[in-house]
Amino acid sequence: MRLKGKTVVVTGAARGLGRATAVACAAEGADLMLLDLCADLPEVPYPLGTAGQLAHTAALCRKEGSAVATAECDVRDLRSVEAAISRAEDRFGRIDAVVNNAGIAAPSGKPAHEIGEDEWALMIDVDLSGAWRVIRTVGKAMSARRSGSIVNIASTAGLVGYRHFAGYVAAKHGLIGLTKAAALDYAPTKVRVNAVCPGSVRDGTEVEGRMLAEIARALDVPVSEHEQAFVEAQPMNALIEPEDVAAAVVFLVSDDSRQVTGSVMTVDGGFTAR
Amino acid sequence: MLGAQCHAVRVRLTGPPVPDRTLAERLSAAGPWRLWVDDVPAGAAEPLAERRLDAEMRRPAAGVRCVLLRYADGEADLVVVADRDRLDRGGLGALTAMLAGTRPAGPCPAPEADRVARPAEGPAPDWGRGEPGSSRHGTYHLDLPQEPGGGPGLLTAALALTLSRYDGHGATEGVTVAGPGGIAREITVDPAATLADLRARCESAPVRVDRPVTAGLLDGSGPDGPAGDDYLPLLAPAFPLTTVLVPLPDGGSRLWFSYLRSHFSPEAVEQFARHLARVYALSARAPQSLVGDADLLDPAERDRIARLGRPHGDVAAAGISLLDAFRRAVSATPDAVAVSDGDVSLTYRELDDRGTLLAAGLRAHGVRHGDRVGVCLERTVELVVTMLGVLKAGAAYVPTDPAYPVDRLAWTASDAGLRVVVTRLPEFPRGDGTTALTPGGLLEAAPDRPSAPEVAPGPDDPAYVIYTSGSTGRPKGVVVPHGNVVSLIAATRDPYRLGPGDVWTLFHSGAFDFSVWEIWGCLLTGGRLVVVPYFVSRDPEEFRDLLVAEQVTVLSQTPSAFSQLLRVDHAGLPVRLVVFGGEPLDSRMLLPWFDRHPEDTCRMVNMFGITETTVHVTAQTVTRELALAGSRSVGPALPGWHLYVTDTHGRPVPPGVTGEICVGGAGVAGGYLGRPDLTAQRFVTDPVTGGRMYRSGDLGRLLPDGRLEHLGRIDSQVKIRGFRIELDEIRSVLLEDPGVRAAAVVVRRDDPDDPAAARLDAYVVPAEGLADLPGIRKRSAGLLPGHMVPSTVTAVDALPLTTNGKLDTARLPAPSRSSAAPRQPAAGSGAAAGLPEALLEIWATVLGTPVGLDDDFFELGGNSLFAVRVSAALRARDLPSLPLRDLYRTPTIRALTEGV
Repeated sequence: MRLKGKTVVVTGAARGLGRATAVACAAEGADLMLLDLCADLPEVPYPLGTAGQLAHTAALCRKEGSAVATAECDVRDLRSVEAAISRAEDRFGRIDAVVNNAGIAAPSGKPAHEIGEDEWALMIDVDLSGAWRVIRTVGKAMSARRSGSIVNIASTAGLVGYRHFAGYVAAKHGLIGLTKAAALDYAPTKVRVNAVCPGSVRDGTEVEGRMLAEIARALDVPVSEHEQAFVEAQPMNALIEPEDVAAAVVFLVSDDSRQVTGSVMTVDGGFTAR
Repeated sequence: MLGAQCHAVRVRLTGPPVPDRTLAERLSAAGPWRLWVDDVPAGAAEPLAERRLDAEMRRPAAGVRCVLLRYADGEADLVVVADRDRLDRGGLGALTAMLAGTRPAGPCPAPEADRVARPAEGPAPDWGRGEPGSSRHGTYHLDLPQEPGGGPGLLTAALALTLSRYDGHGATEGVTVAGPGGIAREITVDPAATLADLRARCESAPVRVDRPVTAGLLDGSGPDGPAGDDYLPLLAPAFPLTTVLVPLPDGGSRLWFSYLRSHFSPEAVEQFARHLARVYALSARAPQSLVGDADLLDPAERDRIARLGRPHGDVAAAGISLLDAFRRAVSATPDAVAVSDGDVSLTYRELDDRGTLLAAGLRAHGVRHGDRVGVCLERTVELVVTMLGVLKAGAAYVPTDPAYPVDRLAWTASDAGLRVVVTRLPEFPRGDGTTALTPGGLLEAAPDRPSAPEVAPGPDDPAYVIYTSGSTGRPKGVVVPHGNVVSLIAATRDPYRLGPGDVWTLFHSGAFDFSVWEIWGCLLTGGRLVVVPYFVSRDPEEFRDLLVAEQVTVLSQTPSAFSQLLRVDHAGLPVRLVVFGGEPLDSRMLLPWFDRHPEDTCRMVNMFGITETTVHVTAQTVTRELALAGSRSVGPALPGWHLYVTDTHGRPVPPGVTGEICVGGAGVAGGYLGRPDLTAQRFVTDPVTGGRMYRSGDLGRLLPDGRLEHLGRIDSQVKIRGFRIELDEIRSVLLEDPGVRAAAVVVRRDDPDDPAAARLDAYVVPAEGLADLPGIRKRSAGLLPGHMVPSTVTAVDALPLTTNGKLDTARLPAPSRSSAAPRQPAAGSGAAAGLPEALLEIWATVLGTPVGLDDDFFELGGNSLFAVRVSAALRARDLPSLPLRDLYRTPTIRALTEGV
């Protein structure tokens, strides 16, 4: 029980890596504040997480013995973030860790000059500024308590480029920059900020992920072909499982990583090693 | 810690289910609080549900938190966690009653108690045995029956008394206890007062707001409110050890503890709680009994502690004399070499014969059974023959060292009433009818046919008298019977597999009882004793060569001698057992040895011993692990030896508590020669066996596993401003500095009536050339708690010693101060003088020394009490006060005033 007694906030917790991370934290004894937008966005060409999916993540965590509270939260809206964090503090007394997982993969699938102004702004607003808003909200209390761990779920797209994903790649590169700068901001107060860069993660049915499917759709290729391409591209020739990413997050949330800050941990089967 | 303000209660909701909405409405009628609902996917009795409930009960709240846990089987618990500021125990009870519908909904009563003051966290006491650095806390409770006059007031008094006993030996100053409301008071625990007096005194004891607090209590009283297992009075300790007395429905009370794991182990708290409860009950039932008579231990526990100090149980006394035991060794291996010195060697039979012959010579000179014979010889084969001969003549040997000053030799000869001294020293003082004889002369004087002694010595007859220097007065002769030595060897023979294959060194002077162990440990177990000549013993390279040449297997060393050996290449040594004695061992020094000699090839044993208890008392095998941990344990008592640790009244103290080390059992000497008063004072009745017991004057702690920690002499411990300080500990930190060769630390009280004026002054002998004194002080400040950092460090060429080889504090120079020349206040200063000038003047007045702008307050002898006086003086002049914290950060006037 590496996270016994810790309270972890997970954004984008309704499904996918958010759900996998929440359940892994629960299994290590953490209590959880699960946040999700629980609504679709008109600019995003695929359905986002739902309130029912968020409740299901909560139930999975409770089964592990966790105390769980949920709230709808729009990371594009500072006031919504502040309300959710305040609710978490009220319920649990304090927040030990935040996993900035909320993010969108599309609108994508076109060259940079074809991206619309609104599309670009939305991608940056959710995938980069959303994490910053959460950090802005929890940073002060964590610093005052001289303890805390912030884990930003970036991507291999934060380290290398992907064709026709300029907005996403720019936002994730920005997130890694935010990770490093914030790590230095908070290092004197022992608050840690790290990033995890997953490679291509399987859309497991249990976590109801759809990242690979949406990327395939953006690139207009069949999912199986797309998966195959990634398997061949990764040196270990396997897709990443959601639990593999969650395990890295658990390490970064736990005190095992108490001297780890500003780090960028890849979970990509060696994809970015060459 | 947020939880230090919080308490929690659980209410099982029974009867028909109440809708969440109704609960939420009842809650909002009581106060501005929301209801949290969490489903638990398990039945109320399942482990998962219990875990969830426990976690919810222990989760601190900033204000009031109310959580409804709904279990899978339809049961439900309400958990309310509240800051004591918002709801006291009565308020918590009222709220839960409203929620459960047994009391009409309405506003909750406001708490009665004021906010709990939070004094600074006191240091971890030695007896706590906590895990330094741990951030966890623990809880413990025990239920007490109803006591007349019981309550927080009585508990405060009981806590002060119990703490003062745990504070350990000779703790004369008051104990600081935080009472109800968190107000710290300094309570003087006078043993001559009654328990009722002590209680009355607690209420009027002086308040000490600036004093760090280690233990205190919170008021959990009041007739109404939750109690028992459904109520947690504290979610985290308010003081490192916090106790709360909560009334139980049956009229009794629950004594509740919350504590920091960094300060206390669960076992230590459990033990302390038991003793506190005992004192509490005693104070309630017998208020007129005396504080000094209160006994923390009941007979059963006293027995248990006594058994702890004698882990091997009863060991039958050897019952034979040294000569009988030696005779057995002779008949076992008559032709084996017993002792050798270079080219000279004697077999067991030859040694026996020579001893018999020398005994005959002694008898020819009138030596009789029960006499004492002086032996003043260098380490040689002859020395061993002579000692044996004296025993065979039925006498006890009185060894002195030929290197002693003549006056001391004369004094010893006279004090011991020696008529015959065996020596080769031509200048051995002859007076008062002392005859000096050489070993050779004695052998020649022996009649041709030696006759058996008239009376063979028995186990209770004295075998030797060794003179020891006390810290005060003249040396005294310790009379040790034959049987003691035989018991010592019997206790160690098997555990250390001592036997005929072993080769021992005779490294130590015959006048030092470590040699008793070397000589008889070897000769009673059939080993070969290799004499180490004086000059070889002083030259580590030569000594190493001797150990290799003679294939020595059992080496006995003082730590200081062994540290010399560690400086030369020691890889090829065939030693299988090293026994340390004579001085405290800093086990860390053994690491380089372990690098070359793993534990399974050479066993390292630290023995704590006292001349008055026959060389050794305890034994601890030192492992690399213990060495890395810097262990101070000297191990459990040897088989047949009994350990007690007692308070100033001679009562055993609880395990882990500091007291005087007392030793009973097989090794207790016969007493001091010709000193019946001193003998009666130090050799007392063993409280358990009824035999004799020696009070050592050394401080120690008996750990719960039966091992002893030796903490130095009673007189080297001092208390400054409430802190117990072990001067030897400061000294050893100074000695670890590579720039320091020797060190001494003394306490100076410039004004005996002013406790704040007590100061620690260190003296160092630099390793080479000039010492970096500020650097040495800075380094020690990094390793020692603030109250143990010497105020001054002064370099001296050598430490002045008394003739007994102890530090002569009277001859130490006045401490030097690294102070710069004091600057004169700026011209025109006066009533309108600036802050720096005022501070210069105030510091100089308070510290009693000239002060410069760049002088370090603490290096000038400043401390927290002086700092408080500086603040008072500033206030008196209407100047801005300086927070103590700033003074610690920036301890010079220039830095301080630049920040203002």
